[in-house]
Amino acid sequence: MSWLLLLKNECKLQIYDMRQYWFESVGGLLMICGLFVALFYGAKSFAFDGEQAQSLDGLLIGFLLWGFASAAYLSVTKTVIDDTQKGYIEQLFITPKGITAILLVKTLVDLLYGLLFITIMAYLTMWLTGNWIDINLPMFYLALLLAAPSLVGLGLIISGFALVFKRVDTLGQLMALALMALVAVDGLPFGPLSFIPFTPGASLARAWVSGENPIQLMDVAIVLANSGIYLLLGMLVFKHFEKVAKRKNLIGQY
Amino acid sequence: MLSIEKVRKSYGDKTVLDDISFNVAAGETVALLGANGSGKTTTINSICQLIEFEQGDILFNNTSIRTDRRYLKKVGAVLGGSRNINWRLTACQNAEYFAALRGHSGKQLKQHISALEARLGLKQYHTLEVLKLSTGNKQKAALLSALAYSPNLLLLDEPTLGLDIDTVEELKNIIHQQSTLNGQAFLVTSHDMSFIDKICQKVVVLEQGKVIFNGDIASLKKALYSFKLEVKVPTQLIDNIQQKVEQLCMGRFQQHTRATNLYIEFESPQQVLGLLAWLNEQDIAPEHLTIMPLTMHDAFQTLMQRSKKA
Repeated sequence: MSWLLLLKNECKLQIYDMRQYWFESVGGLLMICGLFVALFYGAKSFAFDGEQAQSLDGLLIGFLLWGFASAAYLSVTKTVIDDTQKGYIEQLFITPKGITAILLVKTLVDLLYGLLFITIMAYLTMWLTGNWIDINLPMFYLALLLAAPSLVGLGLIISGFALVFKRVDTLGQLMALALMALVAVDGLPFGPLSFIPFTPGASLARAWVSGENPIQLMDVAIVLANSGIYLLLGMLVFKHFEKVAKRKNLIGQY
Repeated sequence: MLSIEKVRKSYGDKTVLDDISFNVAAGETVALLGANGSGKTTTINSICQLIEFEQGDILFNNTSIRTDRRYLKKVGAVLGGSRNINWRLTACQNAEYFAALRGHSGKQLKQHISALEARLGLKQYHTLEVLKLSTGNKQKAALLSALAYSPNLLLLDEPTLGLDIDTVEELKNIIHQQSTLNGQAFLVTSHDMSFIDKICQKVVVLEQGKVIFNGDIASLKKALYSFKLEVKVPTQLIDNIQQKVEQLCMGRFQQHTRATNLYIEFESPQQVLGLLAWLNEQDIAPEHLTIMPLTMHDAFQTLMQRSKKA
């Protein structure tokens, strides 16, 4: 089957899911925006004085980065863990393209949905807080898409564990928390922190969001390398655990 | 179409598939039978590559499944334990989704799904997500998904589980129609022997991971007698009657007693005519006497008992 049909199929699945469970979709968005508004006013209650506005803008960008990072990381783990429990992961394994291909296409769709989600979230939270900032969304998205594979790789590693060890909820929740730190760390310019997944991408997104910083090819290369290494590592780890699960008859045994 | 060649699978010291071999040809419906833990599901999972086997090979259209995943485009499966569909989607949405994963889409597919939906009695639940359906209807939804893209080979692990009588009948019709008209092959595991008896041409029986029978249903029944006579008489007469059975019943037969009942399994009705005449001459009026053809269930039970004795 063509990749295009696979992509179309996963888009359709996402739309069915959003339409049939609209309360969950809308409720989730409102809940996260509510959380941000609470954070925003919490931060505002502290005395920021001179740098107040800049700090609040940073808070919004950080929040959007975290929203996207969570969507990217969770898209893979959600499929493997939820579908194992909901009961059709085996059917994804017995398709001609194989589970990894389906996971990657599902992730791409989730990322596109994630971008739509953070766009709505950005304008909704700016409107709710009255803190309008000038953001260059296309450049912001480009940086996020370049950096996303590193988080997909992390998701594949955790999903690989889930295939064999089944209950990895605690590890998954810890990772979701760790993402908050990842989006705050500066992975650029190149240094030891550049080796941490997603950190160069988060820095690039912060640099590009204002639209004032020029594109540095070296920075882009670091982000691509970070993404490539973690995606490859994730695929290898997932493949290894898939093999173990097949040898021990663990697929879907929940 | 499908050829299982000396497949072996072990978990540590325990061998769950012990050099099993059998074939499924195009248009053929084959039953895979055996007690719980005999290796049926492991065999199905090995064909789907959900399990990695150590030795032997599985060929699909003469190509090893280890080297070419494309065969999965032509294979469908309804696996055991309701683990086949997305419970957040409707039955039709599931069917379209899984068909698209194998490269099928379009108007013709939708028409086929709609027709199958009606035949399986799912039309009235068209708008309901699978999670809101009963266990039986969930199973129907899984069957709809697997039948939708008309795979060349369909693996059905306990397909009648939770289905009502009407749907079982319709499923038999669908399988018969798909295999005879479209040349689709089916490999079915089931504990519903009347279902197996009606739809399968061939049967493979597994016992502790070994194939103990591989042949057509008629030869299984023939090898294991065709009829059963059950007679209930006073206990003190049973020994005498058993001796007469040995004298009067010609050909191949076996007899055994349970409580005050005597059971004789034999090959043709003529074999017991002498016994019936003798009972009449002796004025022995049995409390109960029936002669019936042996069912698939009886044949399977006898085979399993023989295997255990061996």
